Amino acid sequence: MAAVEAGLRQPRHRLHRDNNRQAWKMSAYRVHNVQRIDTIPVISGAPMSHGGTGSAITIDNLTKTFPAPGSGKEFVVIQDVSLTVDEGKFVSLVGPSGCGKSTLLNVIAGIESYDSGSVTIHPKAGRTGAEPRIAYVFQSPRLLNWLTVENNIHFVLEAQKVPRQRWRELVAKKLEMVGLAGQERNYPLNLSGGMQQRVAIARALAIEPDILLMDEPFSHLDAITARKMRFDLMEILASAKPTILFVTHDLAEAVFLSDNIYMMSTKPARIFKRVAIDIARPRKPEDETILDLEKTLVRDFFSVVEAND
Amino acid sequence: MASKLNTIGLRVGSIVALLLLWWAASKLMNDAEVLPGPLAIASTILKDLHTPGPEGESPYFDIGITLARIFVTFFASMIAGTGIGLAMGLNRLCERSLLALIPLMLTMPTILMVFVAIMWFGYSEAGALVAVMAVVTPLVAVNMYEGTRAMDKSLIDMAVTFKAGRYLLLRNVYIPQLMPYIFSAFRYAFGQTWKIVALAETFGLKFGIGYMFFFWFQQFDITQTLAWIMMFVFLMLVLEHGVFARLESRAFAWRSSSLARGRA
Repeated sequence: MAAVEAGLRQPRHRLHRDNNRQAWKMSAYRVHNVQRIDTIPVISGAPMSHGGTGSAITIDNLTKTFPAPGSGKEFVVIQDVSLTVDEGKFVSLVGPSGCGKSTLLNVIAGIESYDSGSVTIHPKAGRTGAEPRIAYVFQSPRLLNWLTVENNIHFVLEAQKVPRQRWRELVAKKLEMVGLAGQERNYPLNLSGGMQQRVAIARALAIEPDILLMDEPFSHLDAITARKMRFDLMEILASAKPTILFVTHDLAEAVFLSDNIYMMSTKPARIFKRVAIDIARPRKPEDETILDLEKTLVRDFFSVVEAND
Repeated sequence: MASKLNTIGLRVGSIVALLLLWWAASKLMNDAEVLPGPLAIASTILKDLHTPGPEGESPYFDIGITLARIFVTFFASMIAGTGIGLAMGLNRLCERSLLALIPLMLTMPTILMVFVAIMWFGYSEAGALVAVMAVVTPLVAVNMYEGTRAMDKSLIDMAVTFKAGRYLLLRNVYIPQLMPYIFSAFRYAFGQTWKIVALAETFGLKFGIGYMFFFWFQQFDITQTLAWIMMFVFLMLVLEHGVFARLESRAFAWRSSSLARGRA
């Protein structure tokens, strides 16, 4: 029953307006397991630490625990994480596999609960009143294989209540962006893995998100396809311009794509370093400055991770 | 394409082989009172289709009433079973309370259920309905319940992050994932239904193919008995392979979809 149980009992965060700050806050509550849901709102009223008016996501002292199986003890997955993502920026979370960075993304997406701290999402400047739109690109495409490419995009447009008369234009525009014009009526299983992931990106962009969450979106692809996709992503984002929070374990990828990198250590997930990447765009992955920075960061990374072990 | 022709060839071939075997056996036995040949049966069927039954009813009335009984009881138990199965999969209270009952219902021997239903409801249509529902509903429920358990949680998560509502989730995420289970429940339930209806007609109901079969059984006429059995089998084969198989291949077009189909 586990899959369905959990699926249907999603801890849905209610976004509620914080009128003083023109922002949307999520109410936090604990979920011990799927059978028992206690709602203990623990929103901290703490002001944003580094966020100004231009921040899109602000996370303050976020902590999340899971009950450790059997022992009845709590296992800390995320500890005291604070971070800010400025509007229109590309921010990466880099850490070893299993460090809880995907969990953090799920918390922001509202499909996982947390124990304490706060998550605040600000709608794009000029889009007042509406709930901020969050889109998610997962590790695997997660397409509905029984629907055509076009209907997969219609699915999220309908979910987000985008007026029907805009659908045709949005589908055409976004498929064109990801290089899949003309594939509207095709079924996902006829497409290669890379193309399926492109559909997933087009689907995410179609709702014109304020915030785009990406969880290692290229890690399932072969190196050559992934490289091509990274270039294309840069090009797409130059025009679409959402705020991006990108999770990866690949430092080279993070340095190439990001404006800022948060480096995370494992067990529990903690942020130990924030790096600004001030390298002009368009970038080349083999650029000296990029390679040098990557080397330095790799060194930092291992010194922290190994010290932890 | 070639392999498709091959499978059709094999199917036809095996049926022809069985008929030949039957024919040879009847020739060897050389006693129409024990094993009439396939040709004798075929001509009896053709003759029966023009001969009124023991109550002066048309043979088509007997066939029609059997089909009507099958369809009514089948759909009633499909609907009940699907509802119960989904409720079990999607609601924890239903799951806990019904999970213990299902094996109890499943272990009840079908033939006994028919007798019990006849004792309760007499020789009436209600008896057939209750017998079928008592046997088929839990089968369908179990299948649908398994279907809900096998659903892909990652797709549900995806839909939830994009804020898909209940209806959208049901229509585009749950139901398509349940389709294979719906179809297998459909086929299995149908097979069970017609067997129970035949049984109920044989033992208790007035009119129907099973009734005719029992009528000729009482006369100890093997040719007629076999003729009515074959009529029944033939009808059910047509329904299963002609109707259900077609529906199924349409529902799963996306699996084997070629580019050409996708663009059509």
